[in-house]
Amino acid sequence: MLTTTVILGLVLGGTYALLALGLTLQYGIARIMNLAYGELTLLSAFVVVALFQGLGLSPLLTLPLVAAGGYGIGWLLYAVMMRPLVARSQGRGRLEVDSILATFGLLFLIQGGLLLAFGANFTSISYLDRGVTVLGVSVALNRLIAFGICVVVGAALVVALKTTRWGLIMRAVALTPGSAPLVGIDVNRAARQGFALGSALAAVAGASISMYQTFSATAGVVFTMKALVIVIMGGVGNVPGALAAGFGLGLIETFVATAIDPGLTLAATFAIFLLVLLWRPQGLFGARR
Amino acid sequence: MLEVKDLTVAYGKHVALDGASLNVGQGRMVAILGANGAGKSSLLGAIGGPVRPVSGDILYRGHSLLTLPAHRRVEEGIALVPEGRGIFPALSVEENLLLGAIPDRARRSATERMAEVLALFPKLAERRRQLAGTMSGGEQQMVAIGRALMSNPDLLLLDEPSLGLAPIVAKEVFAALSRIRATGLTILIVEQNARATLELADFAYLMEVGRISGSGPAHQIKSDPAVIRAFLGGALADTR
Repeated sequence: MLTTTVILGLVLGGTYALLALGLTLQYGIARIMNLAYGELTLLSAFVVVALFQGLGLSPLLTLPLVAAGGYGIGWLLYAVMMRPLVARSQGRGRLEVDSILATFGLLFLIQGGLLLAFGANFTSISYLDRGVTVLGVSVALNRLIAFGICVVVGAALVVALKTTRWGLIMRAVALTPGSAPLVGIDVNRAARQGFALGSALAAVAGASISMYQTFSATAGVVFTMKALVIVIMGGVGNVPGALAAGFGLGLIETFVATAIDPGLTLAATFAIFLLVLLWRPQGLFGARR
Repeated sequence: MLEVKDLTVAYGKHVALDGASLNVGQGRMVAILGANGAGKSSLLGAIGGPVRPVSGDILYRGHSLLTLPAHRRVEEGIALVPEGRGIFPALSVEENLLLGAIPDRARRSATERMAEVLALFPKLAERRRQLAGTMSGGEQQMVAIGRALMSNPDLLLLDEPSLGLAPIVAKEVFAALSRIRATGLTILIVEQNARATLELADFAYLMEVGRISGSGPAHQIKSDPAVIRAFLGGALADTR
């Protein structure tokens, strides 16, 4: 019973961690709180499903495709929509308000497009849904694959941020944007890359969600909210924190669903969120500033 | 190498720099001396960083710098150590130095540069893994200067490198500057510690309320009675 909860919780947490990673990159590097984040995730999930049902393409094959598409869309969104907001905001506070309003509008735009293209029905596919036994617990293969993708992508990102030249640039911009031009870093370019990469992660998360979850065109806000909760719990801009908080949330939701009532999972999520905001607004793993 | 022509900088209605002109020759060390609020930082900020002048021009190797964004100037060989140091406090000493070598011009020589900087500031070698923000003011200044050197600069701009440092630490910083100077690097330095700066510099400009009020070879400036009264009075007691 406990093992089942832990394994299913970790599998769910993998998706959450990946979701949160993209949002935290976008906010940490580009300083844009993207309320349309969940819609980008959904867009990718719908595209994966459409390619699977229409052309019989395996989600694993389309994954690199939607990741690249997500990067491209993020790049364009930043260059066309966010850049003017960044350019006119002298201080950081204004950009936050402006970007929240702008992406709130974008949310409905994408949602409308999704409703138009794919309808309002719940969607799911049956892909590799045979059971595999892990430590005596039967887990659907599609969930395990989704978990594997999240772990590999998340770990690759953490390692790249920690060890590469590119990662150093991204961290420098995230931590002290004011000093970045002194070492020749083009902050605008770094922000565009961070935003685009965040969108790519949203797309990968969407693809992994499409493999095992049922979703509808209006579910984006739930993904955004959960990602936001995880980002804040992990400490804003803190990548390892987001990973840990993502797994933690997956465990808690699964535990609440199995031990208490499945209907309470969202309530539990937000109860924890409230507690974190009250006691540790800098996040469970964030440093005091 | 560097020619500032009739440069004016204003913040709103406040004119911080009013038609300043100066020259820095290749391989020279030039000092700008003046009291707080004389416009020294605005001048350096306009050359190496984010400050946008209202009028005038800055020529570097014969080309105007004004059209180049701040981050491109590092690639041209201009490294600014701003007032307040501009380091990355949440990153380690080593990461701060590596960031200095981000520009393309510095990438190939980064390893040798790192060895040179660590030889210049042995303290930084001992504390490579420490977060820069947790170090003392003097050590942070060393990180900032070391990082600027990592970019393989042709022109080093220093804004008040001894500001807020204990006299003994300031002395250490000046000792390091003297060794950097000996490598033949072109340096433009703004300092309140006029005495120690004039020991190192070839030439000095005096600034008062946004204007250049005088200039001359450092040894002449040092012995000019009017200058001693205006600029060196306090500094004399500081260093001797």
